[in-house]
Amino acid sequence: MKKKEVILQAATHLFSRKGYKDTAMGELTKMTGAAEGTIFYHYKSKQGLFLAILSNLKEGILPEFERYRNAESEKTGLDMVEESISFYLYMAQSREDLFAILHQRYPYELAESNPECRDHLEAVYNCFVDIFENAIVTGQRDGSIAPDIAARKSALIVFSMVDSMVRFRMNNLYDVGALYKDLIESCRRMLENRTR
Amino acid sequence: MSVITVFNALHCNEEQIVPRLVDTTGYRLVGDGEIAALAGKMSGIPAERVSRAFAAKTSLFNPFTHEKERSVAYMRQAVAEMLVEGNLVVVGFCCHLVPASISHVLRICLVADMAYRVRQAQSLPVPEKDPLKTIHKSDEDKAAWVLQMTGKADPWDPALYDIVIPTDKIRAEESMHLIVRNLHAEVVAPTEASLAALADFRLQARVQVALTLEGHEVTVAAKDGAVTLTIEKNVLMLSRLEQELKEIVQKVEGVRSVATEVGKNFHQADIYRKLDFQAPARVLLVDDEREFVQTLSERLLLRDMGSAVAYDGESALEMLREDEPDVMILDLKMPGIDGMEVLRRVKATQPEIEVIILTGHGNETDRETCMQLGAFAYLQKPVDIDVLSETMKQANEKIMQRRQQGS
Repeated sequence: MKKKEVILQAATHLFSRKGYKDTAMGELTKMTGAAEGTIFYHYKSKQGLFLAILSNLKEGILPEFERYRNAESEKTGLDMVEESISFYLYMAQSREDLFAILHQRYPYELAESNPECRDHLEAVYNCFVDIFENAIVTGQRDGSIAPDIAARKSALIVFSMVDSMVRFRMNNLYDVGALYKDLIESCRRMLENRTR
Repeated sequence: MSVITVFNALHCNEEQIVPRLVDTTGYRLVGDGEIAALAGKMSGIPAERVSRAFAAKTSLFNPFTHEKERSVAYMRQAVAEMLVEGNLVVVGFCCHLVPASISHVLRICLVADMAYRVRQAQSLPVPEKDPLKTIHKSDEDKAAWVLQMTGKADPWDPALYDIVIPTDKIRAEESMHLIVRNLHAEVVAPTEASLAALADFRLQARVQVALTLEGHEVTVAAKDGAVTLTIEKNVLMLSRLEQELKEIVQKVEGVRSVATEVGKNFHQADIYRKLDFQAPARVLLVDDEREFVQTLSERLLLRDMGSAVAYDGESALEMLREDEPDVMILDLKMPGIDGMEVLRRVKATQPEIEVIILTGHGNETDRETCMQLGAFAYLQKPVDIDVLSETMKQANEKIMQRRQQGS
């Protein structure tokens, strides 16, 4: 692996565990063996490094979401919602350090003044919510999901529930495994077409 | 076809002037009650709850119910539909729902000095027990409403009206004649442009209702069926929001096109936003020199510091009971309760508020007394805006540090 990538990976690890503000560049040099000058040569600044992580996160995760969303499915929209929930929870687990970064305060603070950061985050979240919205729209078309609910708003609500589950698990608030079945059922009850 | 709107400070001879005006013109009188009732009918919100939108204080639950925004949106639509009727005298809060672009509306404001208003209140058939309090409460509601509708901190600002009548100096009969004379002036006659402005207003009102119903708070502008929505919020998933807004608005009758834009101060990499962290968010300015405070308030706004204004010690203390500013800028010399006394009381009851004294008449003894009483700083007028905002930032730093230690 190139030095540049090693630095990026180590920084992702540190930022996700300790938070942006509490990560000292000294620790990064210790972990990677790269001189501070090298780090700044590649990434200009601590903030620049953070933006690179976001950009890397975007490029790493989004294609998988895109692939998932575009996969042909024989299932009904309602079943696709269920599957999307599992997919999201699975992704959050397998890429835990990246999701940990998304669950920190700092990226959103930075997004208020930094357009690049903003664009990365918007793209990431659009992609996340798209899988749910896509499933709901499909469900409304095939009749499995109530036609009178607002697809866009409902997708955001389902997403915020699922994403909170990720937060629950990361912070060990509760045994999330025990909630999974009920989460799926709640979402189904919320969306299903009862007139059929 | 023309319309007269009358917005008055409480007890400024309105009960004499308005009926005469209605008699002489033969126009129909429309009050807030009728508009709230119509809005209630259109929205399904009970009329008396619609009227609560006029109160300065908003329900704590409003962020979830959006009832105030819905009430205002429906009242705006009610006013818009009524204006089509023409030949109206509109009296009350709803005057400020009518946009300035509709030029066949004659905008009247009735004001008088405080002493006169108190005398008027006392000479009522049933005199008021505490007229000063009622007047202050009414002024506060009106100021909050006008600020919300027009962005002007002074509800009696001449820029908002065609005529501001000091009713303590001009008698009711004369005031009425003055209004009627102006009503017949050519500028108040409906023109093609002013009727087009009315049509735009009706469309804007309809769009606003549609958006408010979906829980969105967006600034709406309409011109010949082209609608522009300004998003005044920092939203990360912006394109999603824009799409949703467009879908809602496209369905509104009369809309030909929809464009969205983002408010100037939102999520752009400008310095104003960054200042946010350093500047106190809530500032109360207390000074009896109206012009001075208003200029100051505007200049602070340019630096992204929102401020409320009180013109005397009494209303300042009144405001403090309801709301807690971070920083207070206080003049020493004021009629009634003076600045020194305000400072003493604030520091006794709400010591966490940082008070900056700003005075034109101070001396060394005053300075010492103020600092002993716990003032954060003592500045002399005329003050350099840079010095003042620097001082405010320092005060804010102190507050932030205290909060961090406390938490």
